[in-house]
Amino acid sequence: MTYRTHIIAGLSLLVGAVAACSNPSEPSHVQATPEAPPQVLTLYSSRHYDSDKELYAMFEAETGVKLDVREAGASQLLETMKAEGDQSPADVIIAADAGSLWRFKDAGLTQALQSDTLEALVPANYRAADNHWYGVARRMRGIAYDPNRWDAADLAQWGTLAMEDKAGEICVRSSSNIYNLSLMGELIHRLGNEAAQDWATAVVANMARNPQGGDTDQIRAIGAGECSIAIVNHYYWVRLGASDKAADTQVAAATSFLFPEFSEGSGSHVNITGAAVTATADNLELAEDFITFLLTETGQSYLTRETKELPLLAGAPLPDGVDRLPDFTASDTALDVYGENQAEAQRLFDLAGWN
Amino acid sequence: MPRWMPSYRSIPSALIVVLVGLPVFAALYAGIAAGDGATWDHILQNRLLPYTFTTLLTLLIAALIMLGLAVPVAWLISQYEFPGRVFFSWALILPLAMPGYVMAYAWADLMGVAGPLQTHIRSLTGLSARDYWFPNLFSTPGLAFVLASTLFPYVYITARAAFSMQSLATLEAARSLGARASDLFWRVALPVALPAILGGLCLALMEAAADYGAADFLGVQTLGVGIIRSWTSFGEPNTAARLALMLVCIAGVFLVAARWIQGGRGVQQTSARWLTPRRIQLPVAAAWMASLFCSFIVLICFVAPVSRLIWLATETSTSTSELLPLLRSTLLLGVFGTAMAFIAALVFTLAAKRRNALRIATRLMAAAGYAAPGAVLGLGALFILRETGQALSGTVAITLLVWIYVSRFTSAGVEPMQATLDRLPKNLDDAARSLGSRGILHFFRIDLPLLTPGALAAGLILFVEILKELPATLMLRPFGWDTLAVKAHAYATDERLAQATLPSLLIVLAGLLPVLLLSWRLSQTERS
Repeated sequence: MTYRTHIIAGLSLLVGAVAACSNPSEPSHVQATPEAPPQVLTLYSSRHYDSDKELYAMFEAETGVKLDVREAGASQLLETMKAEGDQSPADVIIAADAGSLWRFKDAGLTQALQSDTLEALVPANYRAADNHWYGVARRMRGIAYDPNRWDAADLAQWGTLAMEDKAGEICVRSSSNIYNLSLMGELIHRLGNEAAQDWATAVVANMARNPQGGDTDQIRAIGAGECSIAIVNHYYWVRLGASDKAADTQVAAATSFLFPEFSEGSGSHVNITGAAVTATADNLELAEDFITFLLTETGQSYLTRETKELPLLAGAPLPDGVDRLPDFTASDTALDVYGENQAEAQRLFDLAGWN
Repeated sequence: MPRWMPSYRSIPSALIVVLVGLPVFAALYAGIAAGDGATWDHILQNRLLPYTFTTLLTLLIAALIMLGLAVPVAWLISQYEFPGRVFFSWALILPLAMPGYVMAYAWADLMGVAGPLQTHIRSLTGLSARDYWFPNLFSTPGLAFVLASTLFPYVYITARAAFSMQSLATLEAARSLGARASDLFWRVALPVALPAILGGLCLALMEAAADYGAADFLGVQTLGVGIIRSWTSFGEPNTAARLALMLVCIAGVFLVAARWIQGGRGVQQTSARWLTPRRIQLPVAAAWMASLFCSFIVLICFVAPVSRLIWLATETSTSTSELLPLLRSTLLLGVFGTAMAFIAALVFTLAAKRRNALRIATRLMAAAGYAAPGAVLGLGALFILRETGQALSGTVAITLLVWIYVSRFTSAGVEPMQATLDRLPKNLDDAARSLGSRGILHFFRIDLPLLTPGALAAGLILFVEILKELPATLMLRPFGWDTLAVKAHAYATDERLAQATLPSLLIVLAGLLPVLLLSWRLSQTERS
């Protein structure tokens, strides 16, 4: 026996040791009393908020169900589920974008959930027509701008960003960001490929700087005077206003926000955080209970309190700080369009030179 | 049995080579076998060249910065006495504890248009952001700077070791022949140390090529960014894997080029007098210049970004209670991963010692893993998962994750051990063998003691690397195994950098101990 054989032996031993120490924080299911094993609902979530954890804990306390949560990017969760196939423990998927939910559906990883309760709670344009996913909160992509430089009327439609008077005024993040892709997805749907690409090309020509950083950085750049228009999701602007740093609240106070339309009366671009039941879930009732729980007043308040998303349940209390947002009419584009057009959106962005 | 015959003894090392290479090749195979996705044409026609060019440019600038920083300080510290020399000798390794993406957050915050520097410039001058020029971190040189500032210690460590271990006889002979200090450096020391320096540089560049976090945050379109974009935006992991092949090729070229240069000039020390040359006291002015240069590097590459992170962390209240479980899983995974990757690296090194044919193959295999972004290795792991029909939880997930650590980082462990071996006279080993030393006894009596300095460095580097690892951990960790990097990433993607700073600082802190140990060990080696 050579030392290399010893090393192999050691290696196998270590694998065994690692395996034996499996999961320190998760109570072992084997140890549960045999007559009453706790029901487990497994969530795959692309959200990472601490308030979500509180929400999950409340659901666990209320129902006695144990939630196993895997948080990762939507694409990673998607590939994980594909790889797991029939073995996937996932019961419910939560994704912070309609395009991502469409991807799960397109890959055959979700199933329809017929639920009168959910259909009553979620307006038709915020759920999939075939009931493969339901929206639970709204997130809006809009424009933060310097009111000393522009009137709301100058920016009332997305097309105004392509005009020459906006040259050197626009700050926006990279095109691979899912919110930009979904916005482009709706533009493609409404204008067609060619016009959408022209729009993107014109916006690139009007950019104050190369796309970089996150949404918050774009708003701060307005404060610094580098640009006067920032394409951002509403909640980043609201959170900036609620920040405990004076520099942030000053920037938020010095800027205004609006939800541009595509054409007059078209309504504004809306995105959602939504939930879908996986194809492998066998306890549909439990999954429905969980999604319904997200749409109770408590669920809505926890979902939106920290994120500053807009609740989906009519009459649910609004999170602090969103009252500065203007009113809007939502676009009636089916949200599945974002996912269907996502790859094309990235291709057109690439061609337009939008990094 | 004649020595040249393939024996059953090579089976274990061959197995480990396969083990290390499998995830990369699984991902590449999946990418190529799946056929052209709709996106592949678009990438090929419109994006492949720009991605590749940007990547190569980033690497070129990063290489120049790293050589410009690391080689002079390594020379100064190994050859001269100046104020603070001992302090700098270890402080210069500290940046290794900083993950590239954390360095990017910190510098982006410092240098950004709304950051403290530019805000002060504006409030002092009354200018608007459009009225003045300021170095733009969100650019290819900016990315190169960020990556170089965390990775230059790899070059510094190897260069310093090479300069310190040079044969005293060679240097003294040169001095006695009247060589000036500059001649000594350019014509004697540098050529001898070049293989080691290139080895370190190669490692650092592979690591830089695999970066995604920093490039994405700074908006630079590297191959790493293109890979993730193919996957997330286009929904085509296969295209992502194909692009990764490009990175693996680049790494292969580096490695072969480095080997070629090393092979041509490899200088083996046969003199027993490879003791540290006596250090020369620099004249006062030069000594202070040397101190200033070292201080500047430590300040820019470590003190400034870390201070900014601490500042940001104190500005916001973050709950610290949940950081403990994060720290625990980070350390546990770090220890498991290091142990396995270390064993793999050891087997690689020893296998390479015996058979020259296997040598370049094992090196390339390890390099392929090191150059592939963690996310691509994660895809390879998912491919394996699919083939075995398992769910990604519990033991399966941990085994896969540790496997990916091994596949990703073995190269980082092989290099320091190999460097140690390369400097040893070959005849030690031969002598032992001629005296009948064989098998496990030979390993414990001869190989291990000889390898110890390199092995220790390898272990510590592996541990720090695994602590910092993000993409594969994010993809493969089982339920309840969030690490500090995962948490920092969650906050950062949600644009709450202030909250991301505390877990980031903990990664740095957890990495500091092994880095300090490494520094201490390196100094010991020099003295002995």
